[in-house]
Amino acid sequence: MPRWIPDEPGEEAALLEALGISSTDELFADVPKRARIGRMGVGPGRDEPEVVAEVDRLLERNRPLSKFSSFLGGRIASRYSPAAVDAIVSRSEFYTAYTPYQAEASQGMLRTLFEFQSLWVEMTGLDVANASLYDGATAAGEALLFCRRLHEGHRFLVPASLPWEERSVLANYASGPGLQVETIPYDDRTGRLDLEFVRQATARKDVFGVLADVPNGFGHVDEGVPELKSILGDVPLVVVADPLSLSVLEAPGNYGADVVVGEGQGFGISPSFGGPLLGLFACRKEHVRSAPGRIVGATLDADGRRAYALTLVTREQHIRRSKATSNICTNESLMALAFVVYATSVGPRGLARLQASLAEKARTLASGLGTIDGLKAPRFDAPYLADFTIEIARGTVDEFLDRLRRRKILGGHSLKDPRPEVPSEAERILVGIPEMTSEKDITKYVRAAQAAIGAVGRSA
Amino acid sequence: MTYQQARWDEPPVWELGTAAANEALPAIAGLPERLRRKVAIRWPELSELEVVRHYTRLSQMNFGIDTGTYPLGSCTMKYNPKVTELLARRAGAANVHPYQPEATVQGSLEVLWRLERILSKITGLPEVSLQPAAGAHGEYAAMLMVRAYFRDQGELAERTEVLLPDTAHGTNPASAAMAGFTTREIRDKDGSVDLEELRRAVSKKTACFMLTNPNTAGLFESEILEIAEAVHSVGAMLYYDGANLNAILGVTHPGRMGFDVAHLNLHKTFSTPHGGGGPGAGVLAAGEKLGPYLPVPRIVKEGRKFRFDYDRPKTIGKLKTAYGNFGLDLRAYAYILSHGEEGLKHVARRAVLNSNYVAARLGKYLPRPFRPLVKHEFVLSGAPLKERGVRTLDLAKRLLDEGVHAPTVYFPALVEESLMVELPETESKRELDGYVAAFERAITDTPEHLHAAPRSTSVSRVDEVRATREPLLSWKDLRASGPKAETP
Repeated sequence: MPRWIPDEPGEEAALLEALGISSTDELFADVPKRARIGRMGVGPGRDEPEVVAEVDRLLERNRPLSKFSSFLGGRIASRYSPAAVDAIVSRSEFYTAYTPYQAEASQGMLRTLFEFQSLWVEMTGLDVANASLYDGATAAGEALLFCRRLHEGHRFLVPASLPWEERSVLANYASGPGLQVETIPYDDRTGRLDLEFVRQATARKDVFGVLADVPNGFGHVDEGVPELKSILGDVPLVVVADPLSLSVLEAPGNYGADVVVGEGQGFGISPSFGGPLLGLFACRKEHVRSAPGRIVGATLDADGRRAYALTLVTREQHIRRSKATSNICTNESLMALAFVVYATSVGPRGLARLQASLAEKARTLASGLGTIDGLKAPRFDAPYLADFTIEIARGTVDEFLDRLRRRKILGGHSLKDPRPEVPSEAERILVGIPEMTSEKDITKYVRAAQAAIGAVGRSA
Repeated sequence: MTYQQARWDEPPVWELGTAAANEALPAIAGLPERLRRKVAIRWPELSELEVVRHYTRLSQMNFGIDTGTYPLGSCTMKYNPKVTELLARRAGAANVHPYQPEATVQGSLEVLWRLERILSKITGLPEVSLQPAAGAHGEYAAMLMVRAYFRDQGELAERTEVLLPDTAHGTNPASAAMAGFTTREIRDKDGSVDLEELRRAVSKKTACFMLTNPNTAGLFESEILEIAEAVHSVGAMLYYDGANLNAILGVTHPGRMGFDVAHLNLHKTFSTPHGGGGPGAGVLAAGEKLGPYLPVPRIVKEGRKFRFDYDRPKTIGKLKTAYGNFGLDLRAYAYILSHGEEGLKHVARRAVLNSNYVAARLGKYLPRPFRPLVKHEFVLSGAPLKERGVRTLDLAKRLLDEGVHAPTVYFPALVEESLMVELPETESKRELDGYVAAFERAITDTPEHLHAAPRSTSVSRVDEVRATREPLLSWKDLRASGPKAETP
């Protein structure tokens, strides 16, 4: 059993004696007999070495990314994080603290969050960022509700190519206030949003917001997105941006985005089977009082020195209760720390070089896969950075990926919505370039893909 | 006083170096000109040592559980075991992608499945999902489930109201409102739910009653079975806010108390670190009526294999990308494995013992508005301080000078000038006595000192009013505000 509960000889007896009771049973006298339970059935406790051995035994049943040539892409990245990032994140002054309600004792985290907010503001070209939300998908959900506070209407438009998980999360956020999420069709050749559809939909005056992602759910950069704001007028535009891509792509605030959200996990946060992640949110200053989540502001202390504090708290649940802009309380502060330490360690030049090198590798992979009969790679004729979509003409995505896996290749992930009630979709795979992918891995993938498609052709 | 926090004269990161302003960005083939970034991200180019020093200095200006006693009510600031940090960083845990094929992530799936089974036993509710990212996220999901349930029952048009006690956490009404319900607060009687008031309030309009037990006044709601009966008598659901589960582990559980759905905070009861505000990890546990509505995917075991199951026709769908905060789930699993049945029961007993001990001792200095027997936390009223021209806020700030964290202040709102104190099981009697001594020094100090506090932290009293009145929310704002505000 661990030594996490103090157990000095006589310690509990002294506490009981001070209270004039003989057993801790008396402290539960107000729990009615009928509400009591017997055993929970959790099993016996274990010493630290046993726990480590048991957890390691379970984790050995995983095969981590390092065992594969991985081409998994999408919103969750597998990039190298400099050791310095985890060294800072592991400082227990940061990770064992609560939300910095007591500003004077928490300047370290408050200043870090202010730097994080400033960085996301700089990257997006907007004015104000919050101190984080749960993940990119919930940040998009919060953006939907935020848009509704800025603009009348009941329809929210999102790309049909948006990842199914995000569409499902958005549907949940919309359901409470009875709002509708509608999909914008895309051009079958380029994957570009149908701007004419957007024009006609917004002409009906019942659209309260439009969301577009750059890169989009197919991994491609949609050249039409910068045209959206001129169509929307005062209807708010939400852009979902990948942070690394912003090292080389125009800041969305500069082409009319009113809100920029994103998934920040790729900056110094391990994939960890999908969590914790990091939701990013930025907006214009005139809308800050409608924004969700904690915000750190700069102020002065009693001696006139620069100091920081949580601010504009009247937006929040602990003050406004049912009228709050969001229910969020716990956010992802420690992940925001990782984000800003990663970006500062790598530096803006390093980020742009990394993005360029991933794009170069992606082109090599795409041109290799593009020569394979029965495989359309890339599926869409549009620019891309690290990710792109392929479509297989023979067999299923599952079969194809399974054949690659047997050769220790993670060939990407299916873009299909796995819920059986959703009608079946095209056989598409999002392929990405993690940072550690080498030229050799790419050659291996192209060969294995050729063999996999050929094998499906033979068995069909 | 002997405490002194670090006080580095450390500039903001952007003042530590210069950005590479005019350097050409690398060309990426095929990128349309309209979408090319014209100006590189303006952020300093620093050496690794400069970065490490900067954030190390900032960390030294932050107070954590490892620094000192952290009696923040309703937050359960218990020790975060180091071994769980070690395990969460194993390659088999951290370097695993959520979109890997199921056959390659059997370990992660088994950890999640086992944790779900254990939490089912701890909550007494059969169905569990680990998808919520935090407690409030779990509350919100539960309200969406309640909504979907009544929609399927054809009762959504009339079930529009969620009831909650006036002691409820702010997240409760906020979550209910986000899920489309109107909320109504039930007045308390001596800090507990007024059963007669509740009986009068429930009706066919009621979708759900949200309750924390023990509640935020630290009191166990002893009439819980009658409360459950009153709520169920009109066909409504009873929701358990698990923020305070730590106090009742192994004594009772939401299932036995009659709850239909519950959320837990792994970052409170199950020791995962709060991270300076997050990440947390939420748990959803549901009974038979609401179980089918839990988010997908669920994890199922077939023979010796684990897989995701998306075939749940009534599901509310997804709450976030992937399956939950696995890194935190793993830490909580290791924590539960370490303690086992007897250890978890001891957790509750010692936490309640600690809080009652300190409550009895601090009751000598400030009035305790409710009955003396509390669970994991207790409430004091700082109202008498006003006679000396002192407020609860001053006392909280003065406590910081003692090298302990302040309690939760001004919540619950039903107590004037309230302080909410929680001392988890991981604090020794020595630490408790030290805390009481610190409290005594603080409260008996002169009003001048109390107003001037804190003096031992990295900055003195922070002007939060100014922060709200003149919002400076990023470096852009700081630059625009000019040098006057920067160096007064």
